[in-house]
Amino acid sequence: MSSFSQFKQLEKLGNGTYATVYKGLNKTTGVYVALKEVKLDSEEGTPSTAIREISLMKELKHDNVVRLYDVIHTENKLTLVFEYMDNDLKKYMDSRIVGNNPQGLELNLVKYFQWQLMEGAAFCHENKILHRDLKPQNLLINNRGQLKLGDFGLARAFGIPVNTFSSEVVTLWYRAPDVLMGSRTYSTSIDMWSCGCILAEMVTGKPLFPGTNDEEQLRLIFDVMGTPNESTWPGVSSFPKFNPTFPQKLPKDLRSILQIYSKEPLDDTLIDLLHGLLQLNPDMRLSAKQALHHPWFAEYYQHP
Amino acid sequence: MSAKFDTQLLLSRPYLTKRELTRLQRDTIADRRTYNQKKLAVIKFMSEICLHLNFPRRTLETAIYFYQRYHVFNRFETELCYTVATSSLLLSCKQVETIKKVNEICNISLRLRNVPKPSPEMLDNLKKGVFQIELRILESCSFDYRTNNFLHIDECVVKFGRSFHLSYHVCLLAWVIGYDVLKLDTLLTIPQHTIALATLKIAYQILKPGADWFQLVARRNLETDKYSLNEAYFDILNFYINSFDICDLKNNIPPEISYFGLEKFIELKKNAGPEFGLHDFNDKDIEMDPYFTSHRDYSVRERRYVLSPKLVQDEVKSGPSGPVGGRA
Repeated sequence: MSSFSQFKQLEKLGNGTYATVYKGLNKTTGVYVALKEVKLDSEEGTPSTAIREISLMKELKHDNVVRLYDVIHTENKLTLVFEYMDNDLKKYMDSRIVGNNPQGLELNLVKYFQWQLMEGAAFCHENKILHRDLKPQNLLINNRGQLKLGDFGLARAFGIPVNTFSSEVVTLWYRAPDVLMGSRTYSTSIDMWSCGCILAEMVTGKPLFPGTNDEEQLRLIFDVMGTPNESTWPGVSSFPKFNPTFPQKLPKDLRSILQIYSKEPLDDTLIDLLHGLLQLNPDMRLSAKQALHHPWFAEYYQHP
Repeated sequence: MSAKFDTQLLLSRPYLTKRELTRLQRDTIADRRTYNQKKLAVIKFMSEICLHLNFPRRTLETAIYFYQRYHVFNRFETELCYTVATSSLLLSCKQVETIKKVNEICNISLRLRNVPKPSPEMLDNLKKGVFQIELRILESCSFDYRTNNFLHIDECVVKFGRSFHLSYHVCLLAWVIGYDVLKLDTLLTIPQHTIALATLKIAYQILKPGADWFQLVARRNLETDKYSLNEAYFDILNFYINSFDICDLKNNIPPEISYFGLEKFIELKKNAGPEFGLHDFNDKDIEMDPYFTSHRDYSVRERRYVLSPKLVQDEVKSGPSGPVGGRA
């Protein structure tokens, strides 16, 4: 942004998938914003990710989704002006690492963040939008404990089911097993798996399934959740990347895996919610709306 | 415009009334007849590219919306119209997620214009032009995708048809009429779901002459009103009555449906009663609104596009940044 701009460009906040993000100040209103500068591609023109993000986010107005205020066109670049948030969940969790030991968040904070994550996801899904890249880096938080979904660069609208989705969506650690095995007909359940992984990570302070490639990612998932078969997940063997020689594992006790990293006792309802979100079979996975009615959140929906 | 910031704030107006559209086009389209003739040629050209690349109707529809919207705010030039069309199609692909490489689209664009083997320089020049215009199209739409995000005429025809339990033939006829609608300015004035309803109403009245359309749609929440629906309905009837020779329906009436001609549309119009549609603003009001009278100034360094009238109001309250189109 030049000095002639309506916005004063402040420090760099990070690099997005197709853009650089700066903190900015609206000189007229005094409101802080996030300025996402989109690089115009000399080979393909305006990036489709930017178009997708603009088109989807301009529609979404919800307390748990970052607002896109306006789009600025200057001589040779596009800048998307977003609502400013102080931090993201990844940086926030990293800031709590003591020495080399990751620290989980306090459970009441985990619950408040997860509730807001579910609210944001439910709103997107009601509006027929899949985020497709939910991860702690894309969950923006502020000092008031608000959490909002951001970075809709990989999001897409869905309506009539289509078979044209790419499997190259969602950062590996948060990618659902059906997607890893080559499913191209996924829907909202793809986001719900990510929400389950994020919930576990908030509890323990470390990623639940930190794989380095598709194969290892599946192995880590099956190690904990058990290896699926036709009886536990009808149709699983017809996925393109299903391997009948996957090592056969039985499901492990999720509580004992997570409890060692948490200072507080993990109650049954939390473990039950995690099981609901981390169902291998996408048809069995909880929807965002169902998750919001889960007993773990009873204090929120009983006393709104 | 403010001298302090050299910035401009524009509120999106995705649909315009007929008079507003005429006022804007007065500054961009010098010869209406040439524009209309070229538009038909360009639609044919875009349709052929879509056929070559197996694009669905929604890609074509969105591209035609972009092509028309571009010429609401940018001067129509005959020598540039195929580049604008190619650019509209490229952007449409990104918008409706039928992604294709720009090289592929540009190659076909040139091939259909009798350049079977374009040189790399020729391709590069076209790409440069296409990218420049792509941004202009985005600005013409104020980066507002509400118009083309979820609703497309053909998809709405199918959805409404199912919901009303209409026959396959009624829906098919409406679908063919839906292609002709793309030739009209109606895309710029009426939302696609309402256009779909108008095409279904016409198809229904043609194939079920005794049946009552109003009874069919009564007590349904169609997210539209009789004024918008009538506007689209009469636009379509008038098109067939005035230009039946150039319509695609004439040669594409599905074989299972007995042939009908221009007279059918005259009859429908006669039976429809007095023609009325959306309320329009008077010319004086339009002349007082800078959105219609001041040209888009691309020399303004920073052009900001917003969807929310509240954002415009907040900024206007806080200080002068020269809002255009702020009629909230």
